Amino acid sequence: MAPRVVLRGGLRVYRVDPSGRIEASAALGDSPGAVARLLEADPPTPLPPDVARLFAPAPGAPMVVADPFLASHLPTGVPSAPAASIRELRDAREALPRPPPGPERAFLLALAAERIRRILQEPEEVLISLAREEERVERSLDREVAAAGHWLDAGSSPLTEYADEWQRFRERYAQHHDDLSARLETVARQVVPNLSDLVGPRVAARLVAAAGGKAALARMSGSRLQLLGARRRPSRGRGPRYGLLFRASRMADVPPERAGAYARSLAALSVIAARADITGRPLARELVGRRDRRIERLRRRRQ
Amino acid sequence: MRAARGIRALAGHAHLFERAGDEPRSLWTEALGDPPEVYRERILHSGERVLRRWDPSRSKFGAALTKGWAEPVPGDGERWLYLGASTGTTPSHLADLVGPAGRVYALERSVRPFARLHQLALRYPNLLPILADARRPMEYAGLVPPVDGIYVDVAQPDQVAIGLDNARLFLGSAGAFVIALKTASMGREREPRQHLAAAVAEMDAIELEPAVDLAPYHRRHFLLGGRPTRALFREPGGDGARRPTGPVNRAPRRS
Repeated sequence: MAPRVVLRGGLRVYRVDPSGRIEASAALGDSPGAVARLLEADPPTPLPPDVARLFAPAPGAPMVVADPFLASHLPTGVPSAPAASIRELRDAREALPRPPPGPERAFLLALAAERIRRILQEPEEVLISLAREEERVERSLDREVAAAGHWLDAGSSPLTEYADEWQRFRERYAQHHDDLSARLETVARQVVPNLSDLVGPRVAARLVAAAGGKAALARMSGSRLQLLGARRRPSRGRGPRYGLLFRASRMADVPPERAGAYARSLAALSVIAARADITGRPLARELVGRRDRRIERLRRRRQ
Repeated sequence: MRAARGIRALAGHAHLFERAGDEPRSLWTEALGDPPEVYRERILHSGERVLRRWDPSRSKFGAALTKGWAEPVPGDGERWLYLGASTGTTPSHLADLVGPAGRVYALERSVRPFARLHQLALRYPNLLPILADARRPMEYAGLVPPVDGIYVDVAQPDQVAIGLDNARLFLGSAGAFVIALKTASMGREREPRQHLAAAVAEMDAIELEPAVDLAPYHRRHFLLGGRPTRALFREPGGDGARRPTGPVNRAPRRS
């Protein structure tokens, strides 16, 4: 026997009976914006009573609620059917009226804005956004600094005047970069504390951004993390030894010919740190100790 | 502003134009957005119309049309579901093609490209952005009504299966199914032509038109599509919550 299906259609929720007829329906909210906020509420807020009543069990027909949003709001005692096939849902959808264009567009735009806002305000996403912005500003600042030589030689007076003005702008821009870095470092120490202590907060933030999230970083192997951000393609014999890790703290303390070996062990330690940041375990002191002992060994071996 | 010369509508299309004398042929769509420019493409004024150049090297659908793809193409007043909309380069052209009475439901999974898509949608009256994962159609089933066409551009190893699951749920029985096949995402252990053959076999419930190779605009890509047969809707399909597959095999190391 065909099941009775409860499903969403735009701003309303419908109950479709086994013969494919709409049995009852109720509005999720009174405006597109209100429905968008209800769908995105975190933690979930209760459904309007009219909608909740649509789940009332009826004798004679099993009920299917395949929609994950509605299923998460089911009153106790109503079975959901996550295994409902696409076919069953397709048949039920045939019964729904087409949404009117104006409210539909307003609703989907409001929902999109709400989802973007909710996701981008998570600390991890803030870290990724800040890391990318800091990298962009640093690149353009580097370009400005590299151009400095050109202006400092400028002899004639109109150019000197311009050069002064440009110099002031550059200092202000450098200040902006410093402020941005400071914010980035604060967030990095909150989101990935162990990794920040091990490789420095800025490199830690860039690693998270390059991986696309701290969970993605924690799932990586050390060898993959070692090459994150490397520009050259790995190949046999000659290839990049390190990407973002090249700028990790204490890289400068290692003799250049041992930098590859250091990057390898630092990458292994970084993966452990990233995993500790997922579980919330403070492991930084131990990892920093291992890192420093490794640097000592690499320096001794040189002599 | 100079008036454009030699612009003519393509037969059977309400909002698609070409310019005489261009080699290879250049395609233009009638802009609905205000301001019309979306991705620094060229803009032409032809009478009352504002036309946007459809750059074949930025858009797989555009490349296919340039290389002779005839059917199916979004028509005036139709509703299309677009999987893998990214920042909206190609979706904006499909939105032009369906015109003011049509709609393009543009699905994108990752939030940063989606934020740009949302910005575009605010000034594109018939482009509707949805932040969702095309592997989980149940999650947006309540947002997308039955559609006249589905365009799939998702760059996943199981892109054909993802597209077909969406077609089973959303596509009207007289609809159109078009997929931009990115063979590089399906593994490097087989040649592009072998992937194409496998995809064609997997789409046995669709009456396919001959595939178009998108080289030189997009290497290792094909455009493929047609109209569904009844068999497509008889298949039960997935449970709507497909698990992601493992990573794609890398190319063998060159020694």
